[in-house]
Amino acid sequence: MSFLSLVGVEWRKLRRSRIVLIMVLATVILWTPSILNADLNFGMQSEGISPENNFFIQGFMAMAWFLFPAAMVVVTVLQNQIERGDHGILRMLALPVGKAKLCMAKFAVLIAFSAIQFLISVGMYYIGAAIASHIQNYDFILPPVFIFKEIGVMWVSAIPMLAVFWMLAVCVRTPVFAIGIGFASIVPSVLLINTKVWFAYPMAYPFFAIVSEYGKLAVHLSAAKTELIPWLPTAGMITVLCLIISCSCFGQEESR
Amino acid sequence: MSFALECGKVKRTGFLPAFFGGGFLAGAVPALNMLFRSEMYTGINDSPVSILLRANWQMISMLNILLVIVGACILYNIEYADNAIQRMRALPVSECAVFFGKTAVLAMVSVLLLAIEAVSIGGCAVYWFESDAGLYGEMLKNFSFFLLLMLPSVLASLLTASLCRNMWISLGIGVVCVFAATMIPARNFVLSLFPFAMPFQILADHTEDAVRNYRIAGAAETAGIALLEVVILKIRRLFE
Repeated sequence: MSFLSLVGVEWRKLRRSRIVLIMVLATVILWTPSILNADLNFGMQSEGISPENNFFIQGFMAMAWFLFPAAMVVVTVLQNQIERGDHGILRMLALPVGKAKLCMAKFAVLIAFSAIQFLISVGMYYIGAAIASHIQNYDFILPPVFIFKEIGVMWVSAIPMLAVFWMLAVCVRTPVFAIGIGFASIVPSVLLINTKVWFAYPMAYPFFAIVSEYGKLAVHLSAAKTELIPWLPTAGMITVLCLIISCSCFGQEESR
Repeated sequence: MSFALECGKVKRTGFLPAFFGGGFLAGAVPALNMLFRSEMYTGINDSPVSILLRANWQMISMLNILLVIVGACILYNIEYADNAIQRMRALPVSECAVFFGKTAVLAMVSVLLLAIEAVSIGGCAVYWFESDAGLYGEMLKNFSFFLLLMLPSVLASLLTASLCRNMWISLGIGVVCVFAATMIPARNFVLSLFPFAMPFQILADHTEDAVRNYRIAGAAETAGIALLEVVILKIRRLFE
């Protein structure tokens, strides 16, 4: 079985999980206050950011700090629980497919879901920006090229975080700990992005990416510098390490 | 009987250690905050407990509420996994009793959580502010307020968990609710009555009247959600 068709199988399992519905609900809640308070975007002269940029950045900051990581923890729970019911995982392990390959296919689906979450948010952003433009008589809509560039950076920077969550979901067998540690790790990211060691904490990456973009767009704020040198190697190492650990743990308990 | 039964069930789920761990993690927040930046707080002219709570309660209550949601999901997941709930229904125990047994368990561990955090806040007040005048009275007043405002979210998260067979749905709804709570503006009283937003309130931020209103709202929501669950369970029973 090729890797792609395996990803397809995993994808099909989650199609009817209604998780996308929850993601849509979350993004509606994300953008509603932004639309209602769109007039506040005009009072940002001290930061030196244009109203349309502020509208975009504030929404995605709210998403990146809590909603997005928490939604990804929920997706890992979904991927695990769907296999536990009726011992689905035993059947999967009985297939002539390597465990590591299966593990990576599931991780690929997790990454796909993170992309879906971003795409839903972008879709909702355009709807929200259109409504806000109509109410305030001011063009809040930013060009798609700019939006997708920003979203792309956030999405790629989220991959190490997803690897950590996936490792937790695979290696920590007791669900309450896996979910609890996942959620608890999100909360301190607000504090950690302001420290010198932010690059060692994958859960803070997407939030850091958007905050540093905010610093760039707001001319009066000092931008948090993105130093690629300690960041990229650390992020790469964390991702590879987490994936190796999760691949070696995957299915161990069941195949005993 | 239900309470003892529920206690027995959670024994091997890691439920209690998770709450202990969460309590220590949340308790570490004020201690670490004071360890690194005590000079920011010791100069403020206010009661030590209020200063500490203003500086740390947002993060602590966030951890608390996430833990409560995970706890509620686990409490019902053990029923829905392998259809244990059907066996429970066959027993001469009403489903409402099961719900209130679980509520009692979750409320008990919430008390434990708040107690660990209270010890941490109290310890920080004594160590860094070197005063314990009226400390116990103030702590008791604050933490009983926190407990009362936490109960609606305990019941609300159990309500969603009891209605969703799949854990990710109830967990997802919980996450969305907490997210909505973080988006609610602090000054809006009506919106801050949302069950998941109430645990973020601090006594020192409100006038006597507002505190009384929050207390009434907390008690009313607790009773209201419990009643709602009873009605929903009765109706669901009719259709199954």
